[in-house]
Amino acid sequence: MAIGGITLTGVTRTFQVGDEEFHALDRVNLSIDRGAFVAVMGPSGSGKSTLANIIGGLDRPTAGSVVVEGEDLAKLGDAALSRFRNKAIGFVFQSFNLKGDSTSLENVMLPLTFARMRPKQRKARATACLERVGLGDRLHHLPNQLSGGQRQRVAIARALATEPALIIADEPTGNLDSARGAEIIAMLGALNADGVTLLVITHDSAVAGHADRVVEVVDGTVREGSAG
Amino acid sequence: MRFADYLLLTLRSLRRSRLRSFLTISAIVVGATGVTVMLTFVTSVKNFVTQQYVQTGQIDQIQVSETPNLTYSPTGSSNGPGPQGVGNTSTLTPALEAQIAALPHVTGVAAIAQGFGSQDLAYLSYGGHELNFNNLSAYEPDGVITPTLVAGRDLGPTDTANAILVSSDYADALGFKGSYAKLVGQTVELHTDTGYTGVGATLPSVLPPQSQCNPTQGPQPGSSGPTCGPTASLPAIDLPAVVVGVMSAASDHGVIYLPLSWAIAIGNTALPAGSGIVSCGPGTRQTCPDTGQNQGQNQGQNQGQNQSGQAPGSPQIVTWTTQTATQFLAQRGGYGSLIVKVDGTDHVAAVATSIDHLGVSAATGIDALNQQKQKANAIGLILGSLGLVALFIAALGVMNTMVMSVFERTREIGVMRALGARRSTIRRLFTFEATALGFFGGLFGVIIGSVFVLAAKNVISKSVKSGSLSGANFSVPIWLIVVVIAGTSAIGLLSGFFPARRAARLDPVEALRYE
Repeated sequence: MAIGGITLTGVTRTFQVGDEEFHALDRVNLSIDRGAFVAVMGPSGSGKSTLANIIGGLDRPTAGSVVVEGEDLAKLGDAALSRFRNKAIGFVFQSFNLKGDSTSLENVMLPLTFARMRPKQRKARATACLERVGLGDRLHHLPNQLSGGQRQRVAIARALATEPALIIADEPTGNLDSARGAEIIAMLGALNADGVTLLVITHDSAVAGHADRVVEVVDGTVREGSAG
Repeated sequence: MRFADYLLLTLRSLRRSRLRSFLTISAIVVGATGVTVMLTFVTSVKNFVTQQYVQTGQIDQIQVSETPNLTYSPTGSSNGPGPQGVGNTSTLTPALEAQIAALPHVTGVAAIAQGFGSQDLAYLSYGGHELNFNNLSAYEPDGVITPTLVAGRDLGPTDTANAILVSSDYADALGFKGSYAKLVGQTVELHTDTGYTGVGATLPSVLPPQSQCNPTQGPQPGSSGPTCGPTASLPAIDLPAVVVGVMSAASDHGVIYLPLSWAIAIGNTALPAGSGIVSCGPGTRQTCPDTGQNQGQNQGQNQGQNQSGQAPGSPQIVTWTTQTATQFLAQRGGYGSLIVKVDGTDHVAAVATSIDHLGVSAATGIDALNQQKQKANAIGLILGSLGLVALFIAALGVMNTMVMSVFERTREIGVMRALGARRSTIRRLFTFEATALGFFGGLFGVIIGSVFVLAAKNVISKSVKSGSLSGANFSVPIWLIVVVIAGTSAIGLLSGFFPARRAARLDPVEALRYE
């Protein structure tokens, strides 16, 4: 068992589709060490995103237990689970999911706002995060004034804001060209080097090539894989 | 999340959907404006009426009138016309007035009489104007009754005769429109009927022969006086009267007030003793119609006179007799009403009860004021309901806006949940937004309503100079501003409740997938 990492034991996630049950995850056992860079690969509809959502506390398993950073997520209510997501997890989405009416700074400050951090502190923290991803000169730009790569960097800065132990990136390079995608992966790699556990869901074997470990999800089951 | 952050995110969200926010707020503004204007109108009228009652002292006054006697009596009603004994507590006599004045907390009593003198006076003249008496009344000028004046002063205790108060419409008719002060101090003439024998009349020792009387002759133009009888040929006279004050026509319309003592002196006409004239009841001082008992009496008395050697058609030598004021009052069934002043509004009800126990009816100014207020409240309820209907429709608009907002921002809700927002945070965010729509609708509604009220105030003050509402203070009360804004905010909050709950219950995974 990975202390401070991620442990899934017998995790099943079942969806009701009409009269039939669909097992997105079927008795999954998975252990990820703290500070690891894990790529999750698999065909569309295999259960990759469901796995990420369950690890990230956005979804709950139908059966089995999920322990992330020492927290048994099944035992947490909405408030505690929300606090857990806020403090322990950073999400990076394929389509960035930035608030269109807010500047880069305001977007990065948003998780700190939910954490009830004082305005001055949250501004300083958000500025530092944006500088860390190379956007110190784009603090007051709206998302539509930024390129795709810059938007994803804002999203990474937002994921970093609460200094989480785990960053879950779901197809982070899916909407970027290869050069911008490589930049983003390099940036995520740098964060991992600083001790952040990284879980990247990807179809891209080049991205998986940067990972310490590749996990394949096929028909709701998990097995160790390779980047190639 | 901190309160300030909720506010900030709410304002940003409203700004993002400017047009939709504007339209939603506009619907609330319509309702809030309506409620503000209507309730301001009703409140102002109520305040104005209360102010009038307080200013004129009516709030501390009790009006005493006779209790109607509904029991049939073959010998006549005790309250009906005819001689009645002084001190009878069922009529408004000086004795009753003294009895009431002696009650605890009573600071003054003033008698009012209508009709005293008016049957003897034909018209008022001044500078070529001749005006009818519309409402000629009299009261004891002892400070209890205080008419609302626009110029001059009230009648005072020293005004025992030859002084009057006129309402401003009389002043207008006499050519003093807009300059009422100039009428004050002017002497007008009160023109009596022919045959007048009241105060100021020159009473002859020899009456002209009754044969000059033509019973079929109709009334002379401008005269309500007798056309026959032994005094019919006495000339009309002019009683000079100084106008001491001009009253507001808003509260006293078409009224002339005389001091009560003068009205009694005018009405208490002298009778020629032994002339065969008998009284036919209150207000009748001349020969009675040629019917029934009176005719017999006349005939009998005339026959007696004839027997004493005076031939019909020859001049009659008479001596004149006048009743005392008390006798006159008794004959006329007492005063019309009494106004009782009490030393405090709190004591009015108790004094009114004490007066009721004296066998007369007591109506308090507070009762009258409450009736006025009830009418205003009824109007306010109807008008306010219209505003509430508008607000109800606006509430549906808020709900619709919020439901749309939740749909449009489903993905954003998912992202916020992923970033650590609790369900309660999401619910509060949308509730704040709906409440803000209501708040701004109420705020702008009050502002626009105040502008309407201000405009209406100007229009009223310009166009209704002497109208009943010209003095009303039309301004939006602070409590109404607070109530309207709080009310529309509450409407927003309630309207946003279900959409906000729906937003909070969204599954974050589903929300993140929403396109």
